Amino acid sequence: MEAVRARGLVQRFGRHVAVGPLDLALPVRGRLAVLGGNGAGKTTLLRVLATVARPADGRLELLGLDAGRQRERIRGRLGYLGHQTGLYPALTALENLEFFATLHGLGRRDAEAALVLVRLASAARRRVEQLSRGQQQRLALARAVLHRPELLVLDEPDASLDGEGRGLLAGLFDGRTVVMATHDAALARELCDRAMLLKAGRDAGNPWTLRVVGGD
Amino acid sequence: MRFLPVVLAVARKDVRAELRGRELLPALAQFVVLALVIANFAFDLDLVQGPRLSPGILWLVLVFAGLVAFGRAFAGEKETGSLEAMLLTPAGPTAIFAGKALAAAILLAACEAVLLPAMAVFLGSPISPLVVVTVLLATIGMAALGCLFAALAAQTRARELLLPVLALPLWVPFVVVGSRAVQVAMAGHSLMPLPLAGQPLLILVDFDILFLVVASLAARFVLDD
Repeated sequence: MEAVRARGLVQRFGRHVAVGPLDLALPVRGRLAVLGGNGAGKTTLLRVLATVARPADGRLELLGLDAGRQRERIRGRLGYLGHQTGLYPALTALENLEFFATLHGLGRRDAEAALVLVRLASAARRRVEQLSRGQQQRLALARAVLHRPELLVLDEPDASLDGEGRGLLAGLFDGRTVVMATHDAALARELCDRAMLLKAGRDAGNPWTLRVVGGD
Repeated sequence: MRFLPVVLAVARKDVRAELRGRELLPALAQFVVLALVIANFAFDLDLVQGPRLSPGILWLVLVFAGLVAFGRAFAGEKETGSLEAMLLTPAGPTAIFAGKALAAAILLAACEAVLLPAMAVFLGSPISPLVVVTVLLATIGMAALGCLFAALAAQTRARELLLPVLALPLWVPFVVVGSRAVQVAMAGHSLMPLPLAGQPLLILVDFDILFLVVASLAARFVLDD
């Protein structure tokens, strides 16, 4: 079974085609790295795959469900981290996760478990605004996996992470389907089992089998 | 997903963040007091004119304080990406919207707790329980509409301009009916002699129900599409 299946996926901003047409098939527990330069359409593609944005055209199935009509059912099984952390600076790390746990119908124990997972238990009672950017990124990752999603869609999850933080990613990916955008080809190779190079919103092939000149 | 726990969690989170960050309430309280001081000098109010003009001044200050309070409701969430994070949970946009509106109403009510005593001090306005009830009833409907338009405006670049343009025309019914009730209350009269259909408090309750239903139905499309 495929966890992500896209046919003729297109996303436009006005008359500008940002992504597509794009076909994509990712099996359950497959890990796809989306690579490409600035403006290639990585973030736009990931926002569509995370159901944050509706595609302008094409068909998208996530976890066997129609992404257009069954968004709510998908969202409970999907974890997303975008460019922004989506955290509340005035609340503590634990309060942030407890809040999102409530929205997922979970409790305090799940929030505490997620904090342990990203090794932030000692910072549980510190406000987000007092955490370093790297710690905030870890907390945002904890928010994305809090509800134990089957599918993870992550936009540059390694941003601001130190060596230990990057080491956490492999553990978070374990047993999950992952689509991850990154500029770090070495990290992509380490964590993912397939890759797609985006150029001007189009699939330019697998960068691991291509000889890329002038790309990231 | 249960509706009420989500509403309460969102409202609690907003109020807690405001109490910690102290971004909005001190500014609103300052705005309210300054607006009354300006009104005092601009209208050259004395003890006779003050109470007579009080209802109008009250609604003017309340409407502009509301624009500030509701304008921040979604702008901050949009800037930090937390609105997206909330919408990607199974909580449902309507419950999230209701929680945001509840928090905004609580913050505006806190602002009114400064406004009404300040009016008594600066303008000599007689503040009775009827005035308080009228203002609180208007706050509910204004919060529902204000937050709906704030959510809409937050998705545009010109949100500071768009919110007043959208919200003010639809707040007019609250101002018209609320002013009437406050005028009667401040004059020391009772609302009882008025016919049932013309009871300002009942009309305000009707407006609240109408706008709560409309805003809840529209919230899904405004927040998530």
